[in-house]
Amino acid sequence: MTATAGQAERTTTTTRRPGGLTIAIVVFAVIGLAIAGYTTYEHYNGFKTLLCLGGHHGQSSCEQVQSSEWSRLDGVPVSVLGLVGYFVLLVSLAFRGELTRALAFLVALIGFGFSAYLTYRELFTLKEICEWCVGSAVCMTILMVLTGIRFLRGDPQPV
Amino acid sequence: MLGGVLVAAVAVIAVAIAISASGGSSAPVKVHSAQAKNDYTAVATLLKGIPQTGTTLGNPKAPVTIDYYADLECPICRLFTLGIDGGGFPQLVANQIRAGKVKVVYKSFCTATCTNHGQSTFNLQQVAAYATGQQNLFWDYAELFYREQQVETSDYVNATFLKGLAEQIPNLDLTKWQTDRGDPALLNQVEGDEQSASNLGLGGTPTLIAIGAKGETLVNSGNFPTYSTIQQAISKVE
Repeated sequence: MTATAGQAERTTTTTRRPGGLTIAIVVFAVIGLAIAGYTTYEHYNGFKTLLCLGGHHGQSSCEQVQSSEWSRLDGVPVSVLGLVGYFVLLVSLAFRGELTRALAFLVALIGFGFSAYLTYRELFTLKEICEWCVGSAVCMTILMVLTGIRFLRGDPQPV
Repeated sequence: MLGGVLVAAVAVIAVAIAISASGGSSAPVKVHSAQAKNDYTAVATLLKGIPQTGTTLGNPKAPVTIDYYADLECPICRLFTLGIDGGGFPQLVANQIRAGKVKVVYKSFCTATCTNHGQSTFNLQQVAAYATGQQNLFWDYAELFYREQQVETSDYVNATFLKGLAEQIPNLDLTKWQTDRGDPALLNQVEGDEQSASNLGLGGTPTLIAIGAKGETLVNSGNFPTYSTIQQAISKVE
């Protein structure tokens, strides 16, 4: 029995459907993008509507962290760097190839490493915790694992 | 390629941490350094020609008074005072204060210092600043303090740091300043400010209160005071 045109079409459609890994990367990159977007907005809006659980002497712990020396890298707010990182991770999903997967993994690794450093500064230098920063660090950690798996596994092969 | 990715990531992270660390743990500014001169030039430019009396900046007869409750170690006060991230103080100075329409009175309220170091450090630094007010140079000193402020959890405020700031102000009589630091009236002034803050139920710094012919209003309540919020408060009370 020969394959019909309809069977070939169904096979092509199946290989283009995003897998669980891709969906997971999209979900965590979008959450990270939302956190980075919100904290960037608050940074330039004078923290007027910044929501936060902890705090002391009238300023929330998030505001303390995000107005500290460690909230900028050479003058650029770290939330802006996060925004760029999550955006690159999302865009990378639109392209195939080892180089793109390697670039996404590299971005997530850098994001994870720098997030770990900033979390250390929160805990041991500033002695304040910013929930948004922790949320972003968790997202970046998960994305590092997911993009790492994607990099090592390779692009899905046509069935 | 995995090895290349890992090496590149480690290199970028190391550079980012190096840049971040160099900006966050700077040593106190040396008195005669280029940075110290730059800091004072910026302060002198901002304050040039504006009258100072004690802790008051601006025309003593200005129709609107803004009480500015602050802590010299408070990082948010630094952002506000230096105009970083939308802090409205430099614009207030350049416009309303320079025009003689508003005066600002600095008042002490221990927040960041008491959280990290205690009341005695707060009294030491605030009295040192108020002592420059005896020569009508308080705002020069406070501006320099905010410019050279360090991480609030570090123990950088000591006699050397406070004297170093004083030495950066060319017109300050250092001998008189040292004598005035022992004046009990200045400590009473700091304690009086804190009592006022407590009576008003203030929760943090910076907190600004605008007072004018139509009454008084809180400029910011837990929020960061931008220039537009200050302008709105002034228009309510003038």
